[in-house]
Amino acid sequence: MKNTIKQVFHSGKFLVGFIIFFIIFLTCIFYPLIVRTDPLAMVGNGNFFAPGTYISQEEAATEEPYSLNVDASSAKLQAALSVDDLSAMQQWLIKYGGVKESDIDVTDAQKMAELWQAHYDSTVAQPGLIAAKKKYYVRLDKKITAALKDSGVIIADKDADTGALTESKTIKETDFINTGDISNKRTFILGTDNFGRDVLTELISATVSSLKIGFIAGLIATAIGLFLGLLAGYLGGFPDNLIMFITNLFTVIPSFVILILISYSVGNSARGIMMVALIIGLTSWPWTTRSVRSQVISLRNRDHVNLSKLSGHSMMRIIFTDILPYIASYVVMAMILQISSGILSEAQLSMIGLGPATTKTATLGLMMNWAMQYSAHLNGSWWAYFPVVIMIALISFSLNLMNTGLDQVFNPQLRD
Amino acid sequence: MKGFKKYYGQKIFWYLLTLVFAVILNFVLPRMMPGDPVSAIASRSINGMQDSTAIQKVYQDYAEKFGINKPMYEQFFIWLSHALKGDFGVSFSQYPRTVADIISSSVWWTVALQLPAIIVGWFLGNLLGAIAAYIRGVFDKVILPFFLFVSNIPAFGMATILLFIFAIRLGVAPSSGGYGFDLIPNASWVFVKSVIAHYQLPFWSIVLITIGGQAIGMRSMSIYELNADYVKYSRFLGIKDRKIVGYVFRNAMLPQITGLALSLGTMIGGALVAEIIFSYPGLGTTMLTAIKGQDYPLLSACTLIITIMVLIANLVVELLYGVIDPRVKANQQD
Amino acid sequence: MGKTMLEISHLKTKYITRFHEDVYAVDDVSLKIEEGKSLGIAGESGCGKSTLALSLMGYYFAPLHYISGDIIVDGVKISDMKPEQVRHKILGNEIAYIPQAAMNALNPTQKIISFIEDVMHAHGIKMTKKEIYDMARERFAELGLPEEVLQKHAVELSGGMKQRTVIAISTILSPKVLIADEPSSALDVTSQKMVIRMMRELMEKGYIKSMIFITHELPLLYNVTDDIMVMYAGQMVEKGTAKEMVFDPVHPYSKGLMGSIIVPESGVRERKLTAIPGTPPNLKNPPKGCRFAERCPYATPTCSAMAIDEKVFDDDRMYRCLMSVRKIREAYGNGDGE
Repeated sequence: MKNTIKQVFHSGKFLVGFIIFFIIFLTCIFYPLIVRTDPLAMVGNGNFFAPGTYISQEEAATEEPYSLNVDASSAKLQAALSVDDLSAMQQWLIKYGGVKESDIDVTDAQKMAELWQAHYDSTVAQPGLIAAKKKYYVRLDKKITAALKDSGVIIADKDADTGALTESKTIKETDFINTGDISNKRTFILGTDNFGRDVLTELISATVSSLKIGFIAGLIATAIGLFLGLLAGYLGGFPDNLIMFITNLFTVIPSFVILILISYSVGNSARGIMMVALIIGLTSWPWTTRSVRSQVISLRNRDHVNLSKLSGHSMMRIIFTDILPYIASYVVMAMILQISSGILSEAQLSMIGLGPATTKTATLGLMMNWAMQYSAHLNGSWWAYFPVVIMIALISFSLNLMNTGLDQVFNPQLRD
Repeated sequence: MKGFKKYYGQKIFWYLLTLVFAVILNFVLPRMMPGDPVSAIASRSINGMQDSTAIQKVYQDYAEKFGINKPMYEQFFIWLSHALKGDFGVSFSQYPRTVADIISSSVWWTVALQLPAIIVGWFLGNLLGAIAAYIRGVFDKVILPFFLFVSNIPAFGMATILLFIFAIRLGVAPSSGGYGFDLIPNASWVFVKSVIAHYQLPFWSIVLITIGGQAIGMRSMSIYELNADYVKYSRFLGIKDRKIVGYVFRNAMLPQITGLALSLGTMIGGALVAEIIFSYPGLGTTMLTAIKGQDYPLLSACTLIITIMVLIANLVVELLYGVIDPRVKANQQD
Repeated sequence: MGKTMLEISHLKTKYITRFHEDVYAVDDVSLKIEEGKSLGIAGESGCGKSTLALSLMGYYFAPLHYISGDIIVDGVKISDMKPEQVRHKILGNEIAYIPQAAMNALNPTQKIISFIEDVMHAHGIKMTKKEIYDMARERFAELGLPEEVLQKHAVELSGGMKQRTVIAISTILSPKVLIADEPSSALDVTSQKMVIRMMRELMEKGYIKSMIFITHELPLLYNVTDDIMVMYAGQMVEKGTAKEMVFDPVHPYSKGLMGSIIVPESGVRERKLTAIPGTPPNLKNPPKGCRFAERCPYATPTCSAMAIDEKVFDDDRMYRCLMSVRKIREAYGNGDGE
């Protein structure tokens, strides 16, 4: 036993898979211990905040500033002018400003703005330009002037009685504050989702639920598959034919369809995490049955089994002492695959709206479903669904690697 | 030849039997839900549709169609006789369209998307796997782990990745639908072009997923075959490597065909969900609308048509396999 | 004396394992076969006899590697040729091989005739499909194989039929040397007999000019081959005519090997069956001296200390032992009480 485990860990594939899975597993355990906020707390008011650190604007405004000798207007200009704006400026400058194309560098916003201020005149004749476009250029000009102007932002106090405003502070362009001084801030490494929840925290808790679903579904499927496979393989004859008929039936009828039908049938109210796991487990056993059966058949006529039969050992004893130990490795491998396909099934089921009907916990599939419902994939909020996709892929990748590694250890023929 | 006939006969009979079971499951399962589909309609008539005549019409339609109050087996035959005529009733969510109408407008989108995608993916995957087995070296170190990882990305995940890169970031492909939203399906050149443009992303996301899985399977199958005794024997008879590689790939390819048959159901399931990402007007998206709109008849018809499609595809693969692999013929003679 | 068909001298080859260790499976073996003769090679499993069969053909691929020694086929030194040249010019038409496991030796999804066509084309024989078919049919008929076999796939043939088909295919180009590696071990008794008869026919009808027959079943060799060579731990230990080897083995290992088998010959049968105690040495680090020393009842400390060369006695017999033939015979005489 010890030797087998040693051999298994010598397999590079198994080891890589194991390490990835173990890291995910540890993160699932330790992250909630460190970040103790409710994973489904709606922190953000609004949907899909991009990843980053959010600091309190009020505190930032009232905090004592540090004056830095930094040319802030350039960055401001860069932020204010889009690529479209810059190319529109270029067009105008060449067409009506009389600037040579070679003198213009569209990538340098600062230089562009200088050129613009030197040449732009809204009163000049602009043949071939429609009115809307003309207005656009006027707006653009104002934007550039505003961005270049160093007027600062004035903060005023309101007199409670008269309502009169008195200037209390001016924030200049060169005023900076140290983010360390701000006490009200929140970092969303992966942004927020459509409900304004922290994606990272939600992702970890969803991974926990999905692993649970995968594990329970895998356990159920393996138990059923093992039982039926043993029965069919060991008994042979009619029980074998019957079990194989049913197994083939459920291999050919797509399990996805049965999954949908059952999930729909149990109704929304009954469909919790456990129920979904149960349904997935109940529909995915045929693969295990098949492989267990073929293993048992190849074992059935081995000498040591025949010897036990001749010695009059009971069927139970033969199965437990002469057959199970030999197929244990296959069962473990089948279970690993079942877990990974269970997680995928949950995700797919949730995507078409038949996942766990719960708002109390998230699963990877539900996160995906929510992101799609709120069109995260169309408005470019990648942080709402890419981490989920990568998490599913990583879990399934690590489990499959472990499976391949085990396969190579136990089936030396497959060794490369 | 007699063995072949028996083989085909048995296969076809078996698939018909499976179809019967699938149809029964399709009928029985939803009826086990708390409150059968008909009472679901009744509940919908209270808070679902706005149009009262529509509610009346649909309710009467179903009362008649389902033969409420009749015993279960009679209900089954009533339902079956309608289903055989292609009559699956009226959709709840898209009244007054009939279910048959909705299905027939979406099923071809799915077939035209998935059939070529799976075949192309299967073919490319096998080619790549075979090359990987033959070359080894770089393939094993770099490309194989990459494909191992890619094959573990779910189909819908691949769909979101392609969508993000090509539709959102690069803007070279449309992001959703089967054709431009401003177009009405017709035989014009503009429409065909729009359909082709919309076809790309869903197609390639299914192809890429299929390639990954198939390549890995084919690679290990080929390596296994490359170590087979006949390879050694052929070498010692002086047969050239190119010829031997031909034997090996043919032999490795054949089990991949059965593998395709067995995994078709899973693949189609994944591909249907990928359709949803692109709001492709196929069965996947239709199913999503049906579930969202509590549209039981539409969902049930979707699952039935998917089952039938998978069964047909499986049967075709198995029959084809019987013709090209002599091992099947040999087994029939035993 | 006939023409020499195959001659190898001081051949050394090794396996390189997955763990990059060298295993010296054939270590300094020399042999010679003349036209019309057959040689049997016997030994325990793992003694290197199958590896010798592979090494004889002069075509090496991983994990087997050539180290040194000459292989000469009908006057052509193939150990100097490029591997691809050997494969194209020698394998199949000069040297043919019958593998141990004929069960899987044929491509399962190809018709026998199409495989024969491939063999022909590999050697640049320009014949039409029809000509090849006629030729193959004739040869199959000569060897007592039904014509239908040609149109079948390997999977459709029974085990014995498969083995005979493999033999027929291997010899279709009438090679000068046939190397048969346990061609009959996996078969039932009836099929075994048919295979043996077929091998004899091949020699008699001149489809092959000489044969090397490898087996662990010594009685088979006694009936089939002219000469017998016994191998132990990658080396030849003794060689002589079949009769000499069975009735008058010299090397203590041959003696032990003959003692551990039943030869269906009156007089021999009464001999006591004895097993040789111990196991062969590990070929990763072969002992410096005599490889059999550890198991040899007559071993002295010198046996393990120095390398031992092959010696010739009685004109054409060879053995590899420190003791002189006279001494050994004396020892046997006293020890066995014969």
